[in-house]
Amino acid sequence: MNTQKLVGVGVFLIAVFGIVPWLISVTGRWDFYYTLTSVALLSIASAGVWLTFYIGRINIGQGAYALAGGYVSAILTTQAGFSFWATLPLAGLFCAGLSILIGLPILRLRGVYFAMVTLVLTEVGRLAALALPVTNGAKGITSIPLPGELSIFGLTLIPDFATLENPKLAFYLVAAFLMVICYAALYRIVNSRLGHLCRSLQQNEELSASIGVNTAYLRVLAYSISSFFGGIAGAMFVAISQSIYPSSFQVTDSVNFMLNCFLGGLGYVFGPMLGTLMLYFGWDLLFTAGRFQLLIYSSLLIILMLFLPNGVLSLFERKGGRK
Amino acid sequence: MEQIIVNGLYLGAQYALIALGLTLIFSLMNVLNFAHGQMYVLGGFVTYTVVAQFGLPFIVGLIASAVVLAVVGAAVEKYLFAPVIRKSKREESTMLLAAGIAFFLDAVILLVFGEKQRGVPKIVNGVLNWDFRIIMPYDRILIGVLAIAMIAGFILFMQYTKAGRAMRALAQDRVAAELMGVDVARYSMLGFALGAMLAGLVGGLLVTITGINLGMGGPTSIKAFMMIMIGGAGVISGAIAGGFILGMMESIGLTVLAAYGDITYLMIFASLMVFLAFRPQGLMGKPWG
Amino acid sequence: MKRRTLLKSTALAAVTGLSFLGMAHAENPVLKIGFVGVTSGPAAAWGISNQRSMETRAAWLNELGGYEIGGTTYDIEIVAFDDQKDPKRAIAGMEKMAQEGIHYVVGPNVDDGAAAVRPVAEQNGIMYFPYAFPKELYTAPASNAVLGMVANYQSGPAIYKYLMENNGVKKIAFVAANESDPLSQRDGGVEAAKALGMEVVSDSVTYQVDTTDFTPVLLPVIQTQPDLLVLSGVSPANAPQLIRSARELGYAGLISTETAQDAGVLEEGAGELANGFISVGGASTAELASDTMREFVDRYTKMFGEYNDESNTKVYALEYILETIKANPAAMTDVEAFKATMDTFEAPNPYMVGDAKLTYVGSTSFGQKRQVAVPLVVNVFKDGAFETLFVAQVD
Repeated sequence: MNTQKLVGVGVFLIAVFGIVPWLISVTGRWDFYYTLTSVALLSIASAGVWLTFYIGRINIGQGAYALAGGYVSAILTTQAGFSFWATLPLAGLFCAGLSILIGLPILRLRGVYFAMVTLVLTEVGRLAALALPVTNGAKGITSIPLPGELSIFGLTLIPDFATLENPKLAFYLVAAFLMVICYAALYRIVNSRLGHLCRSLQQNEELSASIGVNTAYLRVLAYSISSFFGGIAGAMFVAISQSIYPSSFQVTDSVNFMLNCFLGGLGYVFGPMLGTLMLYFGWDLLFTAGRFQLLIYSSLLIILMLFLPNGVLSLFERKGGRK
Repeated sequence: MEQIIVNGLYLGAQYALIALGLTLIFSLMNVLNFAHGQMYVLGGFVTYTVVAQFGLPFIVGLIASAVVLAVVGAAVEKYLFAPVIRKSKREESTMLLAAGIAFFLDAVILLVFGEKQRGVPKIVNGVLNWDFRIIMPYDRILIGVLAIAMIAGFILFMQYTKAGRAMRALAQDRVAAELMGVDVARYSMLGFALGAMLAGLVGGLLVTITGINLGMGGPTSIKAFMMIMIGGAGVISGAIAGGFILGMMESIGLTVLAAYGDITYLMIFASLMVFLAFRPQGLMGKPWG
Repeated sequence: MKRRTLLKSTALAAVTGLSFLGMAHAENPVLKIGFVGVTSGPAAAWGISNQRSMETRAAWLNELGGYEIGGTTYDIEIVAFDDQKDPKRAIAGMEKMAQEGIHYVVGPNVDDGAAAVRPVAEQNGIMYFPYAFPKELYTAPASNAVLGMVANYQSGPAIYKYLMENNGVKKIAFVAANESDPLSQRDGGVEAAKALGMEVVSDSVTYQVDTTDFTPVLLPVIQTQPDLLVLSGVSPANAPQLIRSARELGYAGLISTETAQDAGVLEEGAGELANGFISVGGASTAELASDTMREFVDRYTKMFGEYNDESNTKVYALEYILETIKANPAAMTDVEAFKATMDTFEAPNPYMVGDAKLTYVGSTSFGQKRQVAVPLVVNVFKDGAFETLFVAQVD
């Protein structure tokens, strides 16, 4: 990693953990904490979708894993008395396991077939949540406690959220922290041997299979990492809303995760993060437009697509003249 | 039993017509048109406006829907999809555009036609009741027959007209068609207009029976996606087969599984995923669509 | 990049904030009341009738010179947020309300949204008036939510009992959409019917909200030959289609629902087949509506082109908020004062003839007064309009 990149990462970390909280306390826009927390969490789920794009699959089913992750966390905390912090990785692991089962058959599909079958998967998630007894069906799970204390050998790492004066800030910091870890992991994956193999899959699956790449294994691996991201994002959301319903993550969410990736740019690791920020924040900022909100929002989306069909980050590429 | 089959056929006819437009657009441009459901809704509202607000005959409403949607479809292709496809590195990027258009149509429909459920009066009264074995209102029979007639008309158009042949050539091999002198830009636009028009026509037909409201767009698109997955994406016979199969499965499932509660769709979805695992290209699709 | 976007957006937000200040230049101070609900997408009808009721009433009050609370006259401003029926957005909406310094919010419209905003509302001292029925929102320890309408577990038993006594209904069947709210309402209805000693002949049939043909859905239900078919939590979009399919299948019994419907939609969608359909409404029918109600309908129609009968119920929440603050001006910024006032609050109901009162109720269902007393008016549809079947009170 060269110095320029290190500086970039440093600036980013300072911005996320220092400047943002400072700006919010100066301007008094406390509501931005929740907005930015959402952006961080949704961009984690979008990062997963991006990874499936990276192996050449259009994934419109991330909502199902976010929902599953949310339910795992909710059920474990309310019925088995787990600490929220323990359920967070468990939710991710559960989704990764689930995605292996689902992925083995459906990852054989390609192109629009995979896209459409994953779209249906989100709907399956909602219907399953309604039908299964463990999820409490239509009534959802409510009154989930706030995350408790996390300590190792008596040393408090994270204090009990219920005792905090400002849980919003705490949620923001946790979400931002998770986001940084996930994107670091994603960056690492993309720039490793695994990443190169994934790229070969994206370009030509038959060719990479013929030179001895275990494509089936690779696809399932990438998909399960992707679903892991979806699961922890879902679990974290449940901790904030303290409730979950079968409709907490729906087809719209799955589509949005995919749109985030497109908007940011499929060729850039940090594309989904930027895409999420723009799409989610954009909607929030247009709140003053009243009944024209959706009209303006969608018009901007179309215009953006017309001028930057390869994602917003492609703007910088052209300027840098690397093309 | 007879009732189940008749219900399935009626559902299948309307589904097939929706899926036809989607599959046509897909086969020509490799665009998964997320806005297809919204186009269907728009068609329904146009017919509603013409028939219920202006008091004109139903057939005028249907024609108006067809014309409006054809124009919308052509414009969307020419000014939005064509430039984006030209410029983008990965053709999936059109998905974002299609979704943007879906949002846009949703917003326009809400502003222009309002949030309420709309419907036009029955065009034919009365119910066919064959000894309580088949109960079917006459207007449903009429709509079903009209839908089937339109499907037949569409197939004939694709088989025997110059434009139809050109579009089939395009769908088979874009480059070869271009080399053979097919005006790709023109027929892409025509195909998109035709696909949108079909969506509008279904909306216009169904507004007499189920009515229309602005929320029907998204779910309709998803159902249409399922149909073309069953039949095979980009294949006309596949879309028709997919439509009828889904209609039948719904009809049978809702009757047989009624006692078990909320699981009909769960079963349909699950069996679809299993089916695709064994036959990834659907019933009649080209491998890897 | 992220920082730059943030800076830009902060600047934009500051500008919009300033422009808001600029707009509110009238002499009167402004009292902001929030609305968080769904005003786009499939369920737009619910939130839009809500938001428009509030805006109509606010414009009306402002036109009269404002609303007097504790010696000061306020202009009422409605701040609306579209949550797109997404619980995650609903939280963002509630945060926005807190940011605007709002303490009274109407909405959200659905169960999941109402449950999701609860932590935010409680942390920021916001009273909210959801149109969602889960009991845990209104029973202690929760105390910031006030049910804005009559819940199905209150209206359902009243309707079933009336029909048992007057129409000899014995066998009852339920149909619900495969979504949280309708399914919960169905379960509540089944329970109530069983408690009344009715025979539940079918309660497992559900449908997708996007169904275009209800014949296969209703076929198994009609075969059980119920005397009363209950469309649990049916949306205004699905109701006419369900009624039509049931009648076309030869069903001759009664059909009812516990949600509010719009007469125009029923007339367009089902025509005379909808005659006899029983639903719950506000005080809109000719014999109950006061002059104020009629003027409200006129003003709504003038402002938005077309009235929505669902607003008959939704007109109340804003009235309750304002009247309660008027009764105790300290409640303007302090929801604890509001809660204290709720127990004893009473004011005349402007929308109904006679001496009907606005009070908070709900002790029986929730153990505390966390529901607005909307008159439970059970309507029956007849030739394009609703007629009052009977009126009841909820306690």
